[in-house]
Amino acid sequence: MKRLFDWIIERFIFLCGILAVIFVALIFLFLLREGVSFFGSYSPIKFVGGIYWYPTSDPPQFGIISLIVGSLFVTVLAACLAIPLGVATALFIAEIAPRWLKDVLKTVIELLAAIPSVVIGFIGMVTLVPLVRQALNLPTGLSAFSGALMLGFMALPTIVTISEDAIRTVPWSYKEGAIALGATRWQTMYRIILPAALPGILGAVMLGVGRVIGETMAVMMITGNAAHIPGSVFDPVRTMTATIAAEMGETVRGSPHYEALFAIGLVLFVITFIVNFTADTFLRKARR
Amino acid sequence: MVEKIKVERFTCWYYDVLALQAITLAVHEHEILGIIGPANSGKTSFIRSLNRLNDLNLTFRKQGTVLLDGKDIYAMNPEALRRRVGMVFAMPLSLPMSVYDNVAYGPRRHGRRGKKRLDETVEKALVAASLWDEMKDRLSDSALKLSGGQQQRLCLARTLAVEPEVILFDEPCSGLDPISTAKVEETMLELKQKYTMVLVTNNIKQASRVSDRTAFFLSGELVEIDVPSRLFVTPRDKRTEDYVTGRFG
Amino acid sequence: MKSRTAQRIAFAVLLAVSCVVFLPVVSIFVILVKEGGGALTPEFLFTMPSEGMRSGGILPAIIGTLLIVVCAIAVTLPVGVLAAIYLNEYAKDNLLTRVIRLAIVNLAGVPSVVFGLFGLALFVMMLNLGVSVIAGALTLSIMELPSIITTSRNALSSVPASFREVSLSLGVSRWRTIRHVVLPNAVPGILTGAILSLARIAGETAPILFTAAAFYVTRLPHSLSDQVMALPYHLYIISTQIPNMPSKLTYGTALTLVLLVFLMSLAAIILRIIFRRRKKW
Repeated sequence: MKRLFDWIIERFIFLCGILAVIFVALIFLFLLREGVSFFGSYSPIKFVGGIYWYPTSDPPQFGIISLIVGSLFVTVLAACLAIPLGVATALFIAEIAPRWLKDVLKTVIELLAAIPSVVIGFIGMVTLVPLVRQALNLPTGLSAFSGALMLGFMALPTIVTISEDAIRTVPWSYKEGAIALGATRWQTMYRIILPAALPGILGAVMLGVGRVIGETMAVMMITGNAAHIPGSVFDPVRTMTATIAAEMGETVRGSPHYEALFAIGLVLFVITFIVNFTADTFLRKARR
Repeated sequence: MVEKIKVERFTCWYYDVLALQAITLAVHEHEILGIIGPANSGKTSFIRSLNRLNDLNLTFRKQGTVLLDGKDIYAMNPEALRRRVGMVFAMPLSLPMSVYDNVAYGPRRHGRRGKKRLDETVEKALVAASLWDEMKDRLSDSALKLSGGQQQRLCLARTLAVEPEVILFDEPCSGLDPISTAKVEETMLELKQKYTMVLVTNNIKQASRVSDRTAFFLSGELVEIDVPSRLFVTPRDKRTEDYVTGRFG
Repeated sequence: MKSRTAQRIAFAVLLAVSCVVFLPVVSIFVILVKEGGGALTPEFLFTMPSEGMRSGGILPAIIGTLLIVVCAIAVTLPVGVLAAIYLNEYAKDNLLTRVIRLAIVNLAGVPSVVFGLFGLALFVMMLNLGVSVIAGALTLSIMELPSIITTSRNALSSVPASFREVSLSLGVSRWRTIRHVVLPNAVPGILTGAILSLARIAGETAPILFTAAAFYVTRLPHSLSDQVMALPYHLYIISTQIPNMPSKLTYGTALTLVLLVFLMSLAAIILRIIFRRRKKW
């Protein structure tokens, strides 16, 4: 009786253990199902190669190039901001900051990570957007630039926390060796510690980038949502995530537009899968 | 002389590192078998093979047999085996709960219910571990508040409470002061009437004081096994002599 | 001498750069408190909205959010803890374990809006739950599964291996050892992780966008199959979709959401400190 109970509960534990695999597979399958049905009526080449996203015109056009470019613009810009900032902060926290400052910084970063993306979007909308418009004399401050600025901050906690971990776990013997040879702490940091922590830092950066690509609410509220190829970073852009979030409410369930949004979801899923897989590969290398 | 445990050509590895090599020996009923040897000689690997605690190590592999009352322990249910072959660890590993709950832990998990029966079991185990007088008014105290020596005897009481037949001691006094050590040894000698015991120790004097027979392990091999009066005075093997006279180890 | 100067400059730059992280946190807080602090009256927090949400309170949004996140955690916590038990206590170092680990990493990285799509397709449509508290909660529970598994697993692995050995050496089965020795000692860590998760999903918008959130409902939810208003979605709506929205109410809503999230996080952090002090081994 007791053994039977143990046996049953252990089967159940196993089932819960593989649940993550089941859900990843299910998510993929559901996106694929709608996506495949979409590609039955709309050529995948026109989808991936089309520039125009006019889902409600007649006939509708579902080209996602401008959306991909929009996502890419925002992501690259945000990364340019977040990577140097994040790695520098991580280095400061891990190697230089005194104990109390370290605690303060880590708490602030935890709080930053806790701020909901819709709040960041709202704050960006009411402060940054008008500021950008006035400072640069633009027709609108809703732009890739504004969005990237906010997203950069949102990627910061991921990058800082994981990079700091990677920097902190560089073996003591490395540092001792360099110090013994007469190097200053700073020389040790950029010649020895940073290179040694590089795989972990790259992993952190990839995870941060993955977070930016998938970010939805803030992006939708700040970037202006214009589905066209942007001419400059100060143009409004529309990302893949924002497109799904903004349009799903207005679609008819089962219509080509509805299915097209799932197809975008599929593209997003594949991109983030690759990004996260790469990040994980780096991080596992770092741990060894 | 009944052979309680019989080990035959027992060899084991962690990963591909050989830990024990073709060990053959017997543990007699109601004796204390001492096992001595320097660090990494395989003593601990050996007793952890007797209650199959090595199974937890996923890299562990073994050859040969261990018989308990003539039955292969590696063919038994490990839980049933461990109820019969208890163990006291090197460090006093009290669980983070009260003295009473520590001793009652095993019986409770094995389905013993009823406050009265549990009370009796706990008292009996504490008495047998010579701890009852000190503990009878402190049963609800956290076990972690006790001294090291008390905790170690508590661990012994916890083992006794599941009524095993064999008790394995893995360097039980390595963290204790001489007075506590003496108390543990005294208790072990009292328990000899009822239990069969295997004592791993790196304290040669302890082995000579307590054990009925002593085995000397070196680099995973059993070098020599004999009664202490011969093993410590006139060892047959040169390596044993070097070790017991303190020339290495 | 020269390298000393270089070091001093480098450290100063790093210090300055690090302080940039204060900028968003402090400015968001200051702006919200300054503009929305006055809106936080009992009337605002505990009454229904009126006049097309342009006045009145945000009670249904607060209730809706609490309902969704509590249901989500109630589902994901037991499942996540069991999954963590599998990974920490049972899993061998083999291909399956590597696949599970990879799946967890990737599940954690799936964009929140994609979870929304999945929840729409599976819970709302296929399982016919409709746009409802339960559909939104299930969607969020899957999204939060990876972090619950990770924090629970860390809590389990911080329980000393010797506790397991003691219990097993007494002939106690593996599951009972976990149930009576490992789990009780991991509860503090698991609990802290769960509260942090609670805080995180309280602020999520995209996953409930098409699975649970309602634009405007005039009554409080009666059952788990009702559509509900939710704080983050409400903030999105009133800040982008409603013309002539009094800004005080918008800031007030944002401040309420941030306070809710911060208070939960703070509770978790304090709990963590208390448990650490009381830690017995």
